[in-house]
Amino acid sequence: MIQGTPGTDLGIFLVSVGAGVIGSLAGVGGGILVIPALTTIFGVDIRLAVGASIVSVIATSSGAASAYVRDRITDMRIGMFLELATTTGAVCGAIVAAYVTASFLFLLLGLVVLLSAAMQVARLREEVPADEPSRLASALKLSASYPDRRLGREVPYSARRIPLGFAMMWFAGVVSGLLGIGSGVLKVLAMDGAMRLPMKVSSATSNFMIGVTAAASAGIYLSRGDVDPRIAAPVALGVLLGAITGARLLNRVSNRVVRMIFLPVLVAVGLEMIGRAAGLSV
Amino acid sequence: MNPERFRVMVSTVLLVGVSVSAALIAVGFGASFAVGWQGSLLGSPASSIAPTDFGDLPARLARLEPLALSQLGLVVLLATPVLRVASSVVGFALEGDRLYAAITLVVLAVLLSSIFLVR
Repeated sequence: MIQGTPGTDLGIFLVSVGAGVIGSLAGVGGGILVIPALTTIFGVDIRLAVGASIVSVIATSSGAASAYVRDRITDMRIGMFLELATTTGAVCGAIVAAYVTASFLFLLLGLVVLLSAAMQVARLREEVPADEPSRLASALKLSASYPDRRLGREVPYSARRIPLGFAMMWFAGVVSGLLGIGSGVLKVLAMDGAMRLPMKVSSATSNFMIGVTAAASAGIYLSRGDVDPRIAAPVALGVLLGAITGARLLNRVSNRVVRMIFLPVLVAVGLEMIGRAAGLSV
Repeated sequence: MNPERFRVMVSTVLLVGVSVSAALIAVGFGASFAVGWQGSLLGSPASSIAPTDFGDLPARLARLEPLALSQLGLVVLLATPVLRVASSVVGFALEGDRLYAAITLVVLAVLLSSIFLVR
């Protein structure tokens, strides 16, 4: 695609709206939808598609986070604490990128992600976890509550297994620095799976964090010439509209529905990672 | 600063960043249909710069090039998370939470260094 035609632009815009809705609800950046759609349907070069997906991640994050922060679903303390892990992890990932075989890592991660998908199925019925704050959670102020409009009450929660969650977040940062993919999925898994935060809090806080992770590498993509406004402009506008719409929906659905939206995304990311390991570039 | 005002501040920073960038991108995108991406709304001769080249932005903005307007919008969008972290440093400090003001300051430092140093 050299010059965008109105039809192509509209198509990219509509796909991006969908990516924004799903991404904002599931706490992921929507790259998993945007990249394959751009390359297969619209014939965009993979390099420019990845550049557009960085834009899409930041648009999903900032577009939805404004509402999630205001509505107290995002936990800003947990988010900032874990960003310590993701940002330093991302720098480490970028540094070791030259020494690591990406295909092996893709395979390993794909298997881990699919395994966690199976564990998610077992928890599909869970609405909210119940736990007493640990001493570490109290010291780090990682206990709070969020207003659940669906349940019609304030839901208290407290982060469990904080060192494990922190380590998983560091690893999520390494992965995004290294591969530029899947960081939202790994973030949700760290908060929901390891730290046992309510699904909505995990998804909204992941959504809040992915923008920062993506911004850390955005400069590299810009200076490399991977961001083409002819593609990134309709992607950004569509994803923003989708993310704002998705953020309005989150209040109305239950934690179980959020998990049901997250699950197919998880499977898709796992399969894509294994596909990449096998050399099928999507 | 109470937690409620802190949240409103962070939320507002995000909303303003997103709105300004969306407006710029949309104006550039819309104008590209009228004069082409590399054209100029002031009727200046079309530039030959590559669409992925973000250099020389002020001069191209002065000529109201659709490409330059969208590029500025994208830069604002990419900068929004950084502004959000920076405003959180201020917010935690005003809230009197030194631990989290320090944590956020470290995050900001790592973030800025990864943007400007890692190439």
